[in-house]
Amino acid sequence: MVASRVPPGMARPVAVSIAPGAILFTVFFLAPFAVLIGSSFASWGGLDFTFTGWDNYQTMVQDPVFWKAVRNTLFYSAVSIVIQVPFGVVVGIILSQKLPGWRTFRTVIFVPFVISGAAYALVYAAFYNSRYGLLNQTLSVVGAGGKDWLYDTSTARSAVAATFAFIIGFTVILVMAEIASIPRELYEAAETDGASLLQQHLRITLPLLRNVIGTCILVRLLGDIGMFDVVFILTSGGPNDSTVTLALYAYRAYLDGAWGYANAVGTTILLIGLILIVTVRRAFRIGERAL
Amino acid sequence: MLSSFKTADQFTSGSGFWPSPFTDSGYIDAFTQVRLHEYVANTLLYAVGGTTGALTVALLAAYPLARYRFRGSGSITAAFSLALAVPLVGLATPEFFIMRELGLFNSRPGMVIFYAALMFPLSFVVLRSFLASLPPELEEAAHVDGAGYFAILRTIVLPLSRPALATVAVVSFVLIWNEFFFANLLTVSQRNQNVQLALAGFKSQFGSNVTGSLAGATLVMIVPVILFLLLQRQVIAGLTAGATK
Repeated sequence: MVASRVPPGMARPVAVSIAPGAILFTVFFLAPFAVLIGSSFASWGGLDFTFTGWDNYQTMVQDPVFWKAVRNTLFYSAVSIVIQVPFGVVVGIILSQKLPGWRTFRTVIFVPFVISGAAYALVYAAFYNSRYGLLNQTLSVVGAGGKDWLYDTSTARSAVAATFAFIIGFTVILVMAEIASIPRELYEAAETDGASLLQQHLRITLPLLRNVIGTCILVRLLGDIGMFDVVFILTSGGPNDSTVTLALYAYRAYLDGAWGYANAVGTTILLIGLILIVTVRRAFRIGERAL
Repeated sequence: MLSSFKTADQFTSGSGFWPSPFTDSGYIDAFTQVRLHEYVANTLLYAVGGTTGALTVALLAAYPLARYRFRGSGSITAAFSLALAVPLVGLATPEFFIMRELGLFNSRPGMVIFYAALMFPLSFVVLRSFLASLPPELEEAAHVDGAGYFAILRTIVLPLSRPALATVAVVSFVLIWNEFFFANLLTVSQRNQNVQLALAGFKSQFGSNVTGSLAGATLVMIVPVILFLLLQRQVIAGLTAGATK
């Protein structure tokens, strides 16, 4: 429906109605945003506050650990785009065929999505444990293993990525909802033209999923940029900063009392988020109708 | 390793890997040494309080912005919705600073208010698009009959929004229950911390008490899992609506 003008006499209650939301938004989103940008150009810790121009940003780009954090954050994002989302799309398409038992399977696939990062981290800490962990126990059966997965710089980052790479519930749900809205006639027409099932999905389903795939990538990327709890509990960013993320890097600066510096990193996180949003929305033309 | 959920199950039930006497003690450790139930009480307060607050504030704001067009209504809607796309971890230090200045740092009421704010954008976006799809005739009739704005909101809009409210409530509850980053940032005393921090404590306090931490993890993950299994439709609808609107 088309929104109408505010009827006479309603202006006051409408303003009162929006006020609490506007206050929450101002106090917890707008004001922090202003503090973030402003203090990123300052040396700030506790009571001292002096504007220092671009100093924080200069220190940041000269710190090799910052670049490690950037590379790791991008690595985790890449895992999302290359493994997590495509895997979810394939499973979503398969489940949409409504083979026997698909409901149960959908539930099983979705459950990991509602489990917290902290709980996951503990489960995986036990899984990767070098002496008692299931991974090494299993590997020792075939005579391999013995690695300390989370404390070895060559494996730690991949071990962390493996904890979330296969959590595909979100993508599966969105893909299935979108497929349900595709008219059956499209497939029937393709079938009479002799198209195989695989061809039907490549030519009809995938193009129509463009919007949804873009949305899933976007949501995942926003999660990856803010990735914190799993890394924090599993490795604290180590060994030798090989798993550190931007969020963790900013958090360390905050703990050190270098608030201005932490906020320069925070501004960078927001900026990367903004660039990713604009890029993905453009690439997948999100918002435009698929049909 | 198809799904990590199965791994969790195998770990906690497959006691064959560890000496069996230790398996039960993990759960006892969770309550006696870590006092998990106290963290659970806090988390319930945050999840229920934050969700209720967010839903109330969001419904109040979403209704007029879905119904009426006025100067600034477009920008307000855009601003509230944009907050959903901000990677909030970037705002860590400012949020800490503001909470401290308001006297809300490391306090239970403070965390309830903070979580209400955190869940406000998602609730707003879902509720607004839901309300915009409702026909306005009932409200208009009530208006002609002389009902005031808040009376219409309470007696007509609120009951009609029930399905959308239920959806957002479940998703918001689970998100607050699972929240780690800001709980870690904004609380320091154990008596104000949530279950996710209790889990992190398991790792540092016990060092190598694997069964204890796995028992804790199981207890903490069981709440959202059960909620999801019972209210699967709402969770799915809520996530779909939140992501695509």
